Parts: sequence; structure tokens; C-alpha cells
Amino acid sequence: MYHFDWALFWKYLWPITALQNPLVRNGLIATIAVSVIAQVMGVVLGLFAALGKMSKIGPLRWLADAYVWFFRGTPLLVQMMLLFYGLGVTHIYDFPNLHLGPLTVIGALQAGILALGINEGAYMAEIVRAGIEAVDAGQMEAAKSLGMTFGLAMRRIVLPQAAKVIIPPLGNEFNNMMKTTTLMTVISAGELFYAYEQINALLFKPFELFLDASIYYLIMTTVWSFIQARIEAGLGERKGNEKLPGFFERLVGTKFGAH
Amino acid sequence: MGKTKKVSKIEDAPVVVKAEKVNKFFGSLHVLKDIDLQVHKNEVVIIIGPSGSGKSTLLRCINHLEKINSGHIYVNGRMIGYYERDGKLVEDSERNIAQQRAEIGMVFQRFNLFPHLTAVENIMEAPINVRKTPRDQAEADAKRLLARVGLVDKQDKYPNQLSGGQQQRIAIARALAMKPSLMLFDEPTSALDPEMIGEVLDVMKELAKEMTMIVVSHEMGFARAAADRILFVDEGSIIEDTTPDELFNNPREDRTKLFLSKILT
Repeated sequence: MYHFDWALFWKYLWPITALQNPLVRNGLIATIAVSVIAQVMGVVLGLFAALGKMSKIGPLRWLADAYVWFFRGTPLLVQMMLLFYGLGVTHIYDFPNLHLGPLTVIGALQAGILALGINEGAYMAEIVRAGIEAVDAGQMEAAKSLGMTFGLAMRRIVLPQAAKVIIPPLGNEFNNMMKTTTLMTVISAGELFYAYEQINALLFKPFELFLDASIYYLIMTTVWSFIQARIEAGLGERKGNEKLPGFFERLVGTKFGAH
Repeated sequence: MGKTKKVSKIEDAPVVVKAEKVNKFFGSLHVLKDIDLQVHKNEVVIIIGPSGSGKSTLLRCINHLEKINSGHIYVNGRMIGYYERDGKLVEDSERNIAQQRAEIGMVFQRFNLFPHLTAVENIMEAPINVRKTPRDQAEADAKRLLARVGLVDKQDKYPNQLSGGQQQRIAIARALAMKPSLMLFDEPTSALDPEMIGEVLDVMKELAKEMTMIVVSHEMGFARAAADRILFVDEGSIIEDTTPDELFNNPREDRTKLFLSKILT
């Protein structure tokens, strides 16, 4: 029978002891930072791609379509390897370590962020487009009739309304993003899962260690779900609209106490 | 009847809108056929006609929400939406079009208020972001306009907290905030419950005393009280262009009579 190593399990779960290990500490920071940066990149790229897809200018539309087609049609893992090793071997970009003050961002981490962000942009494009299309066409017309240019009308009138439609799936995307960062392990980018894998390589306790890693991801995604529910509730409340489903409602699927 | 005194001098007033041989197609459908039109300063022109006759399209061409296929439309002496190069129409830059639209107020059938902004913010939005009016001044102007449409107490309400009639009055105030030289109304009362039509028409009647207006509407009471001219549009052409009294009492064309018999019941 397998002897479960409780001491080891707790050591790499309890933050005070686990974070003493620099691999875990840096891994956790990297996972959170990469998730946030790549998601922001994805939103920005997705916005441009969505506008491109909706553009009247043919080449812009084709470019946006090609981008979405490629990055949704190929595996992220392959994209990551292609970017990191492909750009490296062709010397287009060698991914040198970047020194930002006290921080060192290693090349693999840069490649991971880029791959995750660019890939996410392709998915966000559809989400942003759906959000923009959900806004009544009369809004753009009214804005234009008041002398607004397309850009101003987008920024001030359409996107703030589209945000209500975009933010719930965006939250889900971020939840996925935190888990998808684990793919960076294949290019040794040093995120949280990589840390546990490295420790496992030394100690060979996969059950305990990967359980610890799972719990860390579970905590991150659960905390995010709370934050997401708060954000969405705030969105719904602002103009006396109906409230959006809250956290527990979302978790369980029905309103507590409802028939 | 109310505005006959104005009519006498309207011919001398500057031309605000001038359309020359305007043609417009939706695919193979010829929606506007060689439209010629002149609207003078302070004139109030009502456009009536069956649905699908092209009356709303004509209105929307005047602020270039719709493109035209040939002809010219001038607003305050400047061609709108296009410039001419070698005798061909070339669409103007976005910035120039936006600048011209800023001078033309438009009120829509479905109000199209900005639902994420309060009533006062709806009115301040364009002055602040298009005209770069300082915020305090824009707010003071907005409050004055709210008073004018009788909705001072609703300034902090969001559109979905207002009735249709109130929303349309805010929409009128929003258009007026840009100090336009021309107001276009696209069936401003047809999405309203009957009991709310009066409050919107009252605001429009007040406005008609001092504003150049083109109104697509079947509100004949309003036409009688406020209009200098009434156009009957059918199948993309202006069939009659006369005073409201003349049109109601002596319609020249059979299809005008037929149409009037349907809406005046």
C-alpha cells in the first residue's frame, strides 16, 4: 500500500513553508503575473482583431480573420514551442533575459507570455465582437449624429455598453488562463506547475506534490470567481438593472431558496 | 395657420438645406429619385408619405447617415458627406463628416439615448467630447436644456427609468446641446404610447418658432400648428410640396388624396 507522505504534503502546501522554496515562490508570482499580463494582451489584441473583423477595409478584415483562424486552429502548445524555438533558431528574437529593475524575466517566460497573450487575443476577438454586436446599431447612429467620429463613438458609447456583455466571458477566460499557464512548463518558463515538477524530479513524490499544486490552482481560480461575481454584480447594479447571478448562484446553478 | 407671418419672408432667408437631383439605391431598389429640395432658415418642413416611400431615407441622407448614389446635398452651403473630384462624388473624410454632423441635430424614432449615461450625462456627452466644452459649462447648458424640455427633476435618471415621452424629450435636449443650425426628426412620436405624444409635440412646437426643422411625421395636428411646408413623398419622389392648409384642403394628386384619407381618419 502507498504510504502518503503527510509531512511533505503539508510542507509544500502551507504557504509559509512552501514559499520558502524559491521555485515555488517565483513560480507563484510568475503564474499570477503571466496570467494577468497575457490576459490584458489578449483583451487588447482581441479588441483590435474584433474591429478588424468588422472593418469595411478588406485587407484589415482578412488580416484579422487569418489571425483568428491560425491561433484558434492550432494547438497553443505548438504555438508556444514555435514561438520560443522558432524565433530563437532563426535569430529573429533570441529571447535574452530581460532585467527590469530587481526582476529578471527569462526568455522562456517572455515567450510564454507572448504565446498565451496572442492565443488569447484570437479567442477574445470573438467575445469582443459579440459584445459590440449586442449593442443596438442606433447607438452608433446617435453618436455619429452628434458629431462623434467612429473611434470616439466606440470608446465613449459602444464599448462601455459592450463591456456588460464582454465581462462575464472575459472572467471565464481569465479563469482558464490561470490554468493554461501550466503549458509553459514545456519551455521551462518557471511558473508554479514547473516548480512542483522540478521538486518532484528531486523527491519523486508526484501524488503529494501534484495534489499541492492542484490546491494552489484551485485557490487561485476560486478567489477569482469571487472577484468576478463582485465585478458582475457591480455592473448590473449601476443603473438599476436586474442583478446578474451571484457567486453561489453561479456555482450551484440556481438561486438559493428559489423554487 | 400659426406661422403664416413667417412664410412671407422665408424666400429671402438663407438656404439651410439644398438637395439637387439626389438618387439613392438600396441594391436594385430605387429609393430616392431625382430629389430636389430647398429648406430655408427657420422653416419647418414636414415630410409625410407611406412606409417605404423613402421619407426617412431622405432625412438620413441630409446628415449622411445614408450614402447617396448621385446628386448633391448641401447643408449651410457646404456639400455633406462628399466632395467632388473630376465631376465624381468622393466620400469626405470621417473628421469632416463628423464636423458637419455636429451642426445637424437628429432625433430618432427609438430615441437612442445612451443607456449607460444619466439624462444630464446624455446631454453633456457630445458638447464635452466633440466640442471640448468645459465640463461645468456643459453641465450648466444641459440643465438649462432640461428645464426647457421640462425634465429638470430627471437629470440623474438613467434612460430605462424614464417613460418614452421623457426619453424623447431628453433626446431632443441632447441634440440641441450641440447648438445645431438644423434639426431632423425621424418619426419622433411613432414609438410612443398615445398619451405621451402630446408632451413631445409641445416641445417641438416651441422649438419650431426658432429652429430650422425637417420632420418625418404623420402628426397632422402638429403639421397644421407648426409647419410652413409639407411634402408628400411616394415611391421615392416628392409628389407635393405645399402648405399644410393647401395639402389638407386641396390635394392635387390622387395618391395624396388616397394617402390623406387613410391617415386623417
